[in-house]
Amino acid sequence: MARRLPGHDAVRGEAIEVRIADTSVRAFPDESIAAAAIASGTRVLARSLKYHRPRTFFCFEGHCSGCLVRLSGVPNLRACQAACAAGAEVEGQNAFPSAEVDLLGAVDFLFSRGMDHHTLMTGSSVLNRLANKVVRQLSGLGKLPDRAATELPEVAVRTVDVCVIGGGPAGLAAAAATARAGRSTILVDDQLRPGGSLRTDPRTGRRAAETRWADTAAAGVEVLARSTAIGYFPEDDGGVLAVSSPDRLYRIHATSWIWATGGYPVNLPFPDNDRPGVLAARAVGRLLVDHGILGGDKVCIVEVPEVAADAAALAAALREAGAEVGRIGLASATGTRGRSWVSALDTLSGKVDCDLIAVAGIPAPASEGPRQQGCKVVLDPPAGGFRVVVDEHGRTSAAGVWACGDVTGYVGPAAAAEHGARVGMNVAMATMAVDW
Amino acid sequence: MAGKIVLCRCEDVTLADLEHCVSRGYQDIEEVKRYTGFGTGPCQGKECLAAVASQLALLTDQSPAAIPPFTSRPPLAPTPLRLLARDPGAHRFADDPDSERSS
Repeated sequence: MARRLPGHDAVRGEAIEVRIADTSVRAFPDESIAAAAIASGTRVLARSLKYHRPRTFFCFEGHCSGCLVRLSGVPNLRACQAACAAGAEVEGQNAFPSAEVDLLGAVDFLFSRGMDHHTLMTGSSVLNRLANKVVRQLSGLGKLPDRAATELPEVAVRTVDVCVIGGGPAGLAAAAATARAGRSTILVDDQLRPGGSLRTDPRTGRRAAETRWADTAAAGVEVLARSTAIGYFPEDDGGVLAVSSPDRLYRIHATSWIWATGGYPVNLPFPDNDRPGVLAARAVGRLLVDHGILGGDKVCIVEVPEVAADAAALAAALREAGAEVGRIGLASATGTRGRSWVSALDTLSGKVDCDLIAVAGIPAPASEGPRQQGCKVVLDPPAGGFRVVVDEHGRTSAAGVWACGDVTGYVGPAAAAEHGARVGMNVAMATMAVDW
Repeated sequence: MAGKIVLCRCEDVTLADLEHCVSRGYQDIEEVKRYTGFGTGPCQGKECLAAVASQLALLTDQSPAAIPPFTSRPPLAPTPLRLLARDPGAHRFADDPDSERSS
């Protein structure tokens, strides 16, 4: 079971209470609903929309769909990106009668070999139409909010020399470099607190994230936290990046763009890899180093060789915090066991009891934003997925658009920070030439 | 749980679904997206695109570099519509004679 580590230096403040599935839970204002939930033993939050398989936390960074909940009357919010507020009411969704005991879970067994919704009742078009109607009733995510939004906030406009997207090690370093060279710089980061993978890696950790965030702000960068780049519109006023934050939308105009969006934690392909209790290794690292929460007492790390050094660092940190840790190669993982949470990993050499499985895959470059700006990407599995193609200076194939860090292929936090600083200086130099 | 290897958790797309899809002749990433629904859930492919594309390369014996990503469209993350309602672009749309004609 997950538990809070006494004496950890996570920023906690005064304890508050939030309600999760009608139970009062102790939480802290600086942490996410998801962190409070897992620390208090919450397991299943929702059901998947087709097979009604149990769904819950996986990535802890707002990029999967595992922790969607209804929060104080608003559906489909990511529990890991919502800060705890006193009196918050969290409900699971998409299950009957509850996420933990969902009768519709029978679908998973009825269609144990899978379901092709194009041919549900093969051979009869009438039955097919009927079956599809039933399926539509069962599917869908959440229910409408309790009430309509009443405030429609003004849109804020920013016009800058440089816009950096992503506040992890690469983005913080790049933004600090362009600002120190005198370029007006804005940085947008989608997390509750900037720092990206610095907050997930025991070799860096929360303090490194806080220090670099403060340094970047001190260099004169406007840092927008909890702000997500949601789209680039090239035809709109010469190109505008739309950024959503909790209380307003920003329209950003920039001469140069630096994508430092890093990579997404991914799952690995092994049977029943979506069982609750299977978390991204980075999520397990984030809980430990950023939140002071040990995710489990017996942890299995399922890993691929490309990230063996990261897995070793995580294993060492978990052991130091008091957990037993086993490391298993992906090829050896043959299944998972457990009811509402994992109880064991099946491997080629037998069953390994555990209460948490950490999946260490190669983070997938977060390249969909750069793709909207016309940057060339290439599928490169050892780099994690579709990496943005850059030259030695960090230039992408699109004019005025640069990229650094893991979005250009997985390199890890230390190398990403160096790359970011270098690319930031290159952008400053390149725009100096334009000034002349 | 029934031994499924899940590639896309938003839409419950399994490795077996992908193999079935490829066996029916849908081998282009956009076709696979439309046939299986992978990448069309709340995460919009953040977790599954790289995994599905890499498996597709193996299943169809193509070089990974030959497989393009599916088209990326806004919004890149779940966005409350109230944030967009006051966008100045919306006013301009209302002044557009074309939009008046059609209303």
